[in-house]
Amino acid sequence: MLSEQAKQEILASLKKYHDKRSAVMDAVRIAQKENGGHVVKRDMEEIAEILEMQPVEVNAAAAFYTMYRIDKPVGRHHIQVCRNISCSLMGAEHIIKHLERSLGIKTGETTTDHRITLSTVECLGSCGTAPMMQVNDEYYENLTEAKIDELLKKMA
Amino acid sequence: MVTVKINGKEITVEDNTLILDAARDAGYEIPTFCYQADLMGIGSCRMCLVEIEGQKKLQPSCVTPVLHGMSINTDSGTVQTARAGVLEFLLANHAMDCPVCDKGGECELQDMVHKHGPHKGRHAEPKFKFHDKDYVLSPVIIKNSNRCVQCMKCVRVCREVVGQNVLGALGRGDHQEPTSFFRAFMNCEMDGNCIEVCPVGCFMRLPYRYKSRPWDLKSSDTICPYCATGCRMVIEERAGTLMRAKAQLGVGLNSETLCARGRFGQDFVNNPERINQPLVRRYGKLEPVTWEEAISHIKENLTALDGDKIGGIASPRLTNEELYLFQKLMREVLGSPNIDSSSRFSPDAVEGFVAATGMGEGGVSVYDCMEADTVLIIGTHLSDENPVIDYIVRRISASRRMNVIIASPRAMKLDSSANIVLRHNVASENAVLTSLVIGLNEGKLADTLKGMHEAQLDANLKASGVSADLISTVVNRLAASSSIAIIAGTDFLRYPEGISGLGLLKDLLKSRGKKVTVMPVLDRANQRGAWEMGVHPGFGPGYSETRKGLGTEGMLDAAMKGELEALYVVGSDVASMYPGDDFARTALSKVGFLIVQDMFMTETARQAHVVLPGAAHAEKDGTYTNQEGRAQVIKKLLTAPGRAKQDINIIRAIGESFDRSFGPKHFALVLDEIRKEVPSYADVSLSFNNKRNTDNKLDNRGALVKAAAAPAVKVKSFNPASVETSGARFILTTGNHLFHSGRSSMKSETLLGLLKGAVVEISEEDAASLGLKSGEKVRVKGANFEAQMTLLTKKGTKSGVAFIAENFDDAPVNRYFRRGGGIPRVDIIKTI
Repeated sequence: MLSEQAKQEILASLKKYHDKRSAVMDAVRIAQKENGGHVVKRDMEEIAEILEMQPVEVNAAAAFYTMYRIDKPVGRHHIQVCRNISCSLMGAEHIIKHLERSLGIKTGETTTDHRITLSTVECLGSCGTAPMMQVNDEYYENLTEAKIDELLKKMA
Repeated sequence: MVTVKINGKEITVEDNTLILDAARDAGYEIPTFCYQADLMGIGSCRMCLVEIEGQKKLQPSCVTPVLHGMSINTDSGTVQTARAGVLEFLLANHAMDCPVCDKGGECELQDMVHKHGPHKGRHAEPKFKFHDKDYVLSPVIIKNSNRCVQCMKCVRVCREVVGQNVLGALGRGDHQEPTSFFRAFMNCEMDGNCIEVCPVGCFMRLPYRYKSRPWDLKSSDTICPYCATGCRMVIEERAGTLMRAKAQLGVGLNSETLCARGRFGQDFVNNPERINQPLVRRYGKLEPVTWEEAISHIKENLTALDGDKIGGIASPRLTNEELYLFQKLMREVLGSPNIDSSSRFSPDAVEGFVAATGMGEGGVSVYDCMEADTVLIIGTHLSDENPVIDYIVRRISASRRMNVIIASPRAMKLDSSANIVLRHNVASENAVLTSLVIGLNEGKLADTLKGMHEAQLDANLKASGVSADLISTVVNRLAASSSIAIIAGTDFLRYPEGISGLGLLKDLLKSRGKKVTVMPVLDRANQRGAWEMGVHPGFGPGYSETRKGLGTEGMLDAAMKGELEALYVVGSDVASMYPGDDFARTALSKVGFLIVQDMFMTETARQAHVVLPGAAHAEKDGTYTNQEGRAQVIKKLLTAPGRAKQDINIIRAIGESFDRSFGPKHFALVLDEIRKEVPSYADVSLSFNNKRNTDNKLDNRGALVKAAAAPAVKVKSFNPASVETSGARFILTTGNHLFHSGRSSMKSETLLGLLKGAVVEISEEDAASLGLKSGEKVRVKGANFEAQMTLLTKKGTKSGVAFIAENFDDAPVNRYFRRGGGIPRVDIIKTI
């Protein structure tokens, strides 16, 4: 269920576009944020109703981007490691392995204490500082194992 | 025009022609998965890559237009390697379960790999799987995404052609799955166009699943027997059972599309309830007899009867040849002018409609209508009644600048493609059309007349319930258009008052120098054919002058008075279609001698003295004339069950019993006679639809009938339809349901699986104000009938309008109507 506030936020975002449907990305982002990092079926149905489109269209838009998580809850900290070309060349695979080892989970999983979710994503537009990752809304760049260990310690 | 070289061959084509089309014109076939001419190009499958001289990378020919001087190679070594590479990637994750796949043997991926494919795959990794078991998306669709080639034709056809938009492409790259929202059961039109366009076995027909291999099927290329759109289809059988129906890309006006009825409703032919032997009533019971006995019994009972006291009603689902022979039997052998083809519409309304829509002026192609600046759709719920016309309007109106104006009391799917929607009151087509006529005349009036016209306009606006603003917008659009097409439906036959308005508007627009085309839309496959063959009490074949007789209503009246000595009913279920509860039944019981020829034991057949088993469309040869006036061929695939016969042979046998020379003896010879007797059919040919239409795409102009010599039909004026004054909340309208057509579809197991019980449809607002929800059981209570059914709500339907389709056996809508009475009112009450 979208809160009244979220609905208002979506309605406000409509003003940015000529076509209501164009607001779908905004709407899913708002819903995901409110829901703590993932969107659920019900939210997408509500968004579809507000934007006068079919629920499956909202689903299709959301499913295309790795920034949206559909129906899969995330931990308090959502680590998203870029694995596109630049980051891969600079050792993204290595970073992912290191994270998996340190956290004791595989990519796509959440730690049992719901603290951290690890996933890999497509390019986040920060190739100059590869390898990089995003944790919730923050970028962490020029990653090394030491940097990651430091960071993980800080994540409550 | 631009000139390009394709594989060294020079060819000149229109500007902006796609390389793919230019190559096909030059005689080089380029393999594709995702390309389909009537869908938006996405260039996603990469099968159509070609080499363009001077460009380093291969280009997708299905989205790249030719440029002057281009030199293109469609078959170079690089291109061949690329194709094989694309296929190798497609096979990397493909399920490869061809031995159990329904598509095996007619699969585009199989064929493509066979022709272009890599001889071995190098992918040793485990295959990616979307899911383990196939899942069901609807009662007619089952899905296996592991076979998908990501061409997304299913998603595009659902959105761009059908307008349902319930399929989406979820995910990306090789993990992209075209499916429904959360793979849930779909609430859609069930037309299965996604199955038809699927090149592989990803979308499959549930009813056909694991039933046959494609190479075991025998097929015939024929026409759908449901509505009058006249969709071309291939029906296929195995061991005497009709297995499936499918459309063909680029063939027939429907191309690869069909609706649920057409694609899944053909199995009524297999219904075990089919009558398979002639029956004669003896001591009150219908008993099996031989054909000889039945025919001689008929002859005995008809001999020496006064022709005026005999009547004949033939179904508008018979072929032209059968209908022609039927009226010949009635008029020439039995001497009766009492002939009709419908128990729903009055002969006068039919005559007026034929005149107002200009059917006597020859055929009108739907593609001509779609070339107009403005299309006005009125008197029909196009999306439910003629779904494939709905697809054509949606597809073409999205691709060019034009106005689509829809006038209908009920909301419909096509509204989303309309520029203007007029939600008018039930049976107020005349008021809508008259308002438009007054509006168009406005500027041309002397001041003295203005006041009068304003009063008239006000009265019409009030009657139609449409705002003056909307009317003036429509008037402006009409005035600004140089060509206008009017698509007019069967509501004009239910509420004939609108016919004069239709005639007026057409004439006025013509007098303003505009090109006006009128296309009738009808709900029975050969309704137009029936009229053109003269199965009407007011005119003979080709709308010729003839001795006037009684229509269905007149015949039943005569029967009630005991004045109808014999009635021959072919394929028509008068008792369940005629308005009023018992009138038709009582009248039929008073007919001296009732002959009923049908496939099923209908209400009418139960009352007959003789029952003759007829044949289904799949069991006969002949021609149908669709609503546009396109004469198309239907071809025999199966033999009628038991001793049932083709209707044409039964009609002829009865004729022969009176006159040995009655005939002609073969359907093709009957068509020859029609060609001679009906000048507008002079060019009709059995070879029309045997060829793939290449030159002018889907529009086979040769099949359109020509203008009749001197059509004996007039636009008449009719009294306004009255509405019952019972004070009940809803006005009841009827028509066909999306999944059903008349009563024959009620014998289709698959269609019954889609919708069996009666439903009543009202607007969302009305339902909310009654505290009712869609899907609830309600009682629909009229003045003389009430029944329980399921409530469906529709957004945008006019408040106070209830719709019950005419198809349901469990809630016969005709019983709400009263013979000669006004439009019924009903109340909708929640069942406790």
